[in-house]
Amino acid sequence: MMLAFEKGQEVRFIGHLDLMRTIQRALRRSHLPIKYSNGFNPHIRLSFAAPLSVGVAGKREMMEVPVEEGTTPQEFMDKLNAVLPACLRMVSARPISDDFPTLMSLMAGSVYSIHLPRNEKTDLAVSRFDDFMALKEYVAIRRTKSGENPCDIRPFIQDGHVETREDSHVIHLTTIATPKEGGLKPTLWLRCLFEFAGAEAVEATIFREWMLARNQQGDLIHMEDYQHA
Amino acid sequence: MPVVIDHLLSKVEKPARYTGNEMNSTTKNFDEAEVSFAFCFPDTYEVAMSHLGMKILYGILNDLPYAICERVCMPWVDMRTEMLKTGTPLFSLESHHALHEFDIIGFTLQYEMSYTNILDMLHMGGVKVKSADRAEGDPIVVAGGPCAFNPEPLHQFIDAFMIGDGEEVIVELTDVIRQGRKENLPRREILRRLAKLEGVYVPCLYQDAYNPDGTLKSLTPIDDAAPAVVHKRIFTDMDKAYCPTKPPVPYMQVIFDRIMLEIMRGCTRGCRFCQAGMLYRPVRERSVDKLVQLAKESVENTGYEEISLSSLSSSDYSHIAELTERLTDELGDKRVSLSLPSLRVDKFVQDTLSQTQRVKKSSLTFAPEAGTQRLRDVINKGVTEADLVNTLHHAFMNGWSGVKLYFMTGLPTETDEDLLGIAELAKAAAGAYYSVPKGQRVKGLRITCSASVFIPKPFTPFQWCAQDRPEEVKRKQFMVKDAFAPLKSAHFIYHDSAVSRMEACFAVGDRRMSDVLYRAWELGCLLDGWMEYFRYDLWLQAFQDCGLDVDFYAHRERSLDEVLPWDHIDAYISKSFLKREYEKSLRAETTRDCREGCNGCGLQVLKGVCKGCE
Repeated sequence: MMLAFEKGQEVRFIGHLDLMRTIQRALRRSHLPIKYSNGFNPHIRLSFAAPLSVGVAGKREMMEVPVEEGTTPQEFMDKLNAVLPACLRMVSARPISDDFPTLMSLMAGSVYSIHLPRNEKTDLAVSRFDDFMALKEYVAIRRTKSGENPCDIRPFIQDGHVETREDSHVIHLTTIATPKEGGLKPTLWLRCLFEFAGAEAVEATIFREWMLARNQQGDLIHMEDYQHA
Repeated sequence: MPVVIDHLLSKVEKPARYTGNEMNSTTKNFDEAEVSFAFCFPDTYEVAMSHLGMKILYGILNDLPYAICERVCMPWVDMRTEMLKTGTPLFSLESHHALHEFDIIGFTLQYEMSYTNILDMLHMGGVKVKSADRAEGDPIVVAGGPCAFNPEPLHQFIDAFMIGDGEEVIVELTDVIRQGRKENLPRREILRRLAKLEGVYVPCLYQDAYNPDGTLKSLTPIDDAAPAVVHKRIFTDMDKAYCPTKPPVPYMQVIFDRIMLEIMRGCTRGCRFCQAGMLYRPVRERSVDKLVQLAKESVENTGYEEISLSSLSSSDYSHIAELTERLTDELGDKRVSLSLPSLRVDKFVQDTLSQTQRVKKSSLTFAPEAGTQRLRDVINKGVTEADLVNTLHHAFMNGWSGVKLYFMTGLPTETDEDLLGIAELAKAAAGAYYSVPKGQRVKGLRITCSASVFIPKPFTPFQWCAQDRPEEVKRKQFMVKDAFAPLKSAHFIYHDSAVSRMEACFAVGDRRMSDVLYRAWELGCLLDGWMEYFRYDLWLQAFQDCGLDVDFYAHRERSLDEVLPWDHIDAYISKSFLKREYEKSLRAETTRDCREGCNGCGLQVLKGVCKGCE
C-alpha cells in the first residue's frame, strides 16, 4: 500500500527513525493485515520516499507499507488514523503492485512552502529572491556526517516564487532530488538566501507540500499520481 | 496561557523531549479542569518516561473527571540555558502551561541526587522554592516515592509528602486541595486538612530539636492537626490496583521503551541493605489471569513490541512458570517479546530460561552483591556460589554469552577477603562458561562485574551503619580492580565514591541537610545524577557554608537508641525487628524468606494485610 500522510507541526521535531517506530507501533495497534518480515525478529518493513528534515512539517509524506490481502485503501486509512495521534494523519492510500518501484527510487523532488514573518530582515531577503534564483551557481557548506563539504546548491533548485501577504512572506520552492545525490534541505537553501541578501537569518515555518516523481516523459509530477507502466 | 517554546526547539538537542503530543497522552482541556496537577519528574524526559510509577499516577489522576494531570520533566542543560536566556518558564509537556499555573505540583522522589533538580524546576517554573515563601494562591507542592520515607532533607521545599503506595492517597490529596480552593481556604488550613489524611506528612506542622552533640533530640508536631506518627499507605489488592495499560508512548527512544507489567509489589527476601525490600512490604501479587488480560490490553493500546515483567524479584512470583508460558503463548503470535528483569540467581528454572529465549534473548543480570558466602549471609542475600554457577551453566548452554554481576563495596563487616571474593566469583562464572562444550557455547564470553558503594538507607537493618570514607572506598576499588587484571573475559567497573557520599548524607540526613541542598543549588549544583555535571567541590563548599560536616552524616555509626530523622514515619517495619536483624547480621546469621514463615517485621499489627503473618 502506498500512503501519503501528514506530519504535523507538533511533531516536526520527531526524527525519521522515531517516526518510523511510531508508525510501526500504530500499525500494530490497528490490527490491519500487515506483512511482517521473516526471520528471528519479525518486524514491519516500512519504506519512505525520503526522510523529512527535523524541524520541517510535511503535508503529504510518502511511505509504503507491505500488506496482506483483505483491506481497502479507505479502511486502511481509517483504521490507521484511529490509532495515530492527531498530529499524524494518513491523507491518501493506493494499492500498488509487487513490481512497483521503490518510493526512494522514484524520489525526484519536493515542493516546499517557507513561511516567514514580515520584518526588515525578511523584507530584505525576499527583495533579493529573484537575483538569488538567477544565479548560475551558489556554493554552500553542507554539514554531513563526514564533515563540512562545499557544495553547489543551484542544481537542486527547480523553480520558486514569493507570495507576500500582509504579515508574512511565503516562498514556494521546488527542489530536485536524485537517488544518488540526495536532496537539498530547505533550511540550508534559506540560510543561503539570507546570506546572499546580507540579512540576519530568521526562524521560518517550513512545510513540505508535495513529494515529486518523474513520469515516463521525464516531467515532475506528484509522487502519489505516479503510474507504473 | 500556554508557554511558547517553538523558537527554542531548533536550538537544542533532542527537541522531542519537550514537545509532548505522544499517543495516549492526555488531551483534556487545561482550563476546564477544576484542579490541575503537574506531575514532575526531577530528571530528563527519557528517564521520566521509563518510570512505571508516573504512568500509574498519571492515569489515575486523568481518570478523575474533575482533574487534569500533565507531565513536567527537567530540561537538559542546553534547553535550560535557552529558557533562561529567553525568560521562558518551565512548562508542562501536554498543554505547555507554566508550572506556576498548576494547583498542585507533585514530585516523585526516586533518587536523592535528583534533589537539586527539584529546586531548579520550581524556580524555573516560577514557583517559590521554599514553602515558607509561597503566598496564599501559589501552587501546593507535594512529593512521594521511596525517598519520601525520609522527607526531612526536603522539608523546606515540599508542602506535603505522601508516604507509601500513592494510588489512593494522591486522589484524596487532590480532592482536599480542590475542595480547599473551592472554599477559598487559607493555605495553612488546606495543609492542616492534608495532614489529617492517612499517609500524609506536612513538615511545617512539626518542629525539630537537637542534642549538644548534634544528633536529633526530637521532631514533634506543633499543630493539633498533625499526627505524632505518619503511617505509610498500603494498597492491598493488586488485582484491583490501577494498571496503566494506556500510557503515553514516547516518540524518541527512552531508557525502558516497553510495556512494564507490574506482576507484584514487595519482596519477601529481606536483604538487609535493600530499602525497597523493606518499604514495599507486604508482597502482593497480581493473578495470572489478570496479568494476561493486562498484558493484552497494553499491547493493544500501545503497539509496543516488548513486555518486561516488573517487580523487585520477578522469579519469586508464585506462578512464574505458568505466567511466562501463558504470556509467550498469547503474545508470541502478536510478535511481542518477553523479557524478565531482576532475575535472582537461586530460583531461576531452566524452563524460564528457554521460555524467554523462545521470544527474545535479553541480557542476563544477577546481583550476588557480595563476594563471599560469609558476607552474603551478613546481608541476608540467600544466594550461594553453587546457585550462581549452576544457573550460569544453564544460561551459557542456552546461548547466552554475556552476564552482568552486581556487587556492593563497603558493606558492614566487610574484609579484604570478601572483596577479593568478587574476582573469585567472576572466575567461577567463567568456569561455568568453559564447562559448556566448545561446540555448544556461543563465542565471546563477557563478564561485567559492577560495584556500587554501600549507602545506609532508612528503614533497613543497616540504617545505623557508617559508609566507608572516600579513601577507604578508593583503596578497596583499586584492590578489586587489580584482582581483575589477570582475568581475560571479565572486567570490573565501580561507582564514584563522591556521589555515593552525598547520596548517603541525603538518605539518612535530617532537616539541616535542606540548608546544604539549598546552598548547593545556589552555588550551581544541578543534574548531580549525571556524572559530567556532578560538582563535588561545590557540594563540599555548601556543607562548609552551612557549618555542617559530611562525616557526621555519611561516616558516623549511629547508636541503636539515637533518635533518627525518620522516626515519626511508620513504614510498618518495627525498630525492634530492624535491631534484631542488625544484630544477627553482625553474627552472619541469616533470616528466612518470609514466605517460609513470619519473621515479625512489624506488619503483623495490620491484621490480614500480609498473608505471610497469618
